[in-house]
Amino acid sequence: MTVVGAELQRKRQLIERRRGSVYILAVGAFALVWMLPVIWTLVTSFRPEAALQRNLASLIPYPFTTENWTFILKSSQLWKWLGNSAFVSTTHTLAQLSVCSLAAYAFARLDFYFKRPLYLLVLIGLMVPFEATFLPVYLLFSNLKLHNTLIALILPGIASSFAVFLLTQFFRGIPLELEEAAMMDGAGRFRIFLIVILPLSTPVITALAIFTFLGNWNSYLWPIISATSSDVYTIVIGLRKLNQAWGDVNFYGRDMAAAVFTAMPIILFFFVFQRRIISGIAINSGIK
Amino acid sequence: MSGFSIGRAVEFFLGLLEVFNPVVEPYRRFHEKLPPKVQQTVTAFIFILPFGILYGIFTILPIFQTFYISLHKWEIMGTNIRYIGLRNFERLLTRDTQFHQAFEQTVLFVALTIPIIFVGLCFALMLNRPIKGIGIFRTIFYLPNIMAVTVIGLIWARVFASSSRGLINAFLENFDAGPIPFLDQGDLATLVVSFTTLWWTVGFSMLVFLAGLQDISQALYDAAKVDGANRRQQFRHITIPGLRRPFAFLCILQVIASFQIFGQVDVMTGGGPAGNTRTIVYNIFETSFLYFQVGYGTAMAVIMFAVLLVISLFQLALFRDQGVGN
Repeated sequence: MTVVGAELQRKRQLIERRRGSVYILAVGAFALVWMLPVIWTLVTSFRPEAALQRNLASLIPYPFTTENWTFILKSSQLWKWLGNSAFVSTTHTLAQLSVCSLAAYAFARLDFYFKRPLYLLVLIGLMVPFEATFLPVYLLFSNLKLHNTLIALILPGIASSFAVFLLTQFFRGIPLELEEAAMMDGAGRFRIFLIVILPLSTPVITALAIFTFLGNWNSYLWPIISATSSDVYTIVIGLRKLNQAWGDVNFYGRDMAAAVFTAMPIILFFFVFQRRIISGIAINSGIK
Repeated sequence: MSGFSIGRAVEFFLGLLEVFNPVVEPYRRFHEKLPPKVQQTVTAFIFILPFGILYGIFTILPIFQTFYISLHKWEIMGTNIRYIGLRNFERLLTRDTQFHQAFEQTVLFVALTIPIIFVGLCFALMLNRPIKGIGIFRTIFYLPNIMAVTVIGLIWARVFASSSRGLINAFLENFDAGPIPFLDQGDLATLVVSFTTLWWTVGFSMLVFLAGLQDISQALYDAAKVDGANRRQQFRHITIPGLRRPFAFLCILQVIASFQIFGQVDVMTGGGPAGNTRTIVYNIFETSFLYFQVGYGTAMAVIMFAVLLVISLFQLALFRDQGVGN
């Protein structure tokens, strides 16, 4: 390549890169506007009530106060609700994974009587939204006197058709030879499931775990009807109740701090599992 | 915790199970004499049992119960139960204007939230460029999606609050304009709830489209370039057809989700103003837990179920189309 040619190419690259940074800046400006309400919420949580009474529409936390946050962080209620959420969602997720992966293994690998009708019965669940059947479930828990317990928040939804469907599909794709080798060594089905199938399914199981956890953590309809005593609120419901109790007149900043407090754990969770979440959406939506 | 591994944990767990050996061993000897398919049936049923019990109690049984209860006058405390045949449905379909209004409102929400998919496509196209650092925006636009409805609803209810206690109206006050009664006027409140839903969930459509875009083979674009196709033609004839599957997937998901809108309405408007944003699920919730008429509430659920069933059949067809449905 001639000197002139090399120079020309370098120039083109430079222009390209500059165009790229202009583009990034434009997208960044748009993202900033898009996220303005979040920034405003965060700023408002650091402003004193008196200043908020004068003017709400400000993005400058001056005068600055940590009063709202001290109040929120000292509230034993909020921490308790956070604990409830963590316990309920973790248990729910672990239970769903165990129960559904076992069933999925049977559907994927065993040849048994009534297999097709049973699998069809499982698939029916894909078409039944919880919103259509939650009233009998509510009555059941009423009869068992199990409302206002954490168990009531954990149980519904553990047996997920979607989870069985997804896992069955994945297990079917695992080469049979691996299993046969283990069987030669005298391993039983349960052992094969634990030491051959599960380790090979880590990606799909992690993705499923993350979305089950998020879904349960964020669920609203069921906990708001089942959990009516403040001891068993999840953080999501607790925020709603605080918001109702405080109204939007007197404790504006405090309420905003509570909202950020509620969002924080799940944002942390998101940043930890970011990659898995983003690739998991492709898995869950059946695109890849 | 040196030497800890999942393999070792599994071995330990399996070791614990050996406690059951005195019971299991005699059976195992019998089991091995059975024909293979019977053997596998026994194993399969044991594997499916935990799922089956929970699934039966929380999914299958409630389907039948929903139909059963809907034929009764049934109060939530389990008092005053009386069989009334199809009278709930007669009242729902012919006389209950509140339910009709809720149904129309729900369809309106469905219509107003379909554009979320197109906005998601725009976001995906905006971010589908090989520029360093663009990945961070994927994260930013998706972030609202993982937050709880109470957080989202709280924030946006305050942005749009009708009095000067709302962000926009407080801002307008500086110019002696407003206040705009965002949440006090039916149509405006509907738009506000729909917009909030857009802001909350658009990141999901965006990610699905981004995955779809990355699935389209670059070779197709290269071939088109050789043939002299300009960017618009490439978009029209390669990108759009290539996104058909994610598009269909998102449409069905969006319709199903919007048919069940509840949280946003409950948090932001409480069904108001004057019942203007009341949706079907909100109506079921109100009828059952405010007026205690569970029988009547389940009748509404049956109707919603019927509508959703039709939509889900499309979904199932789609799954089958992808060759993953058995």
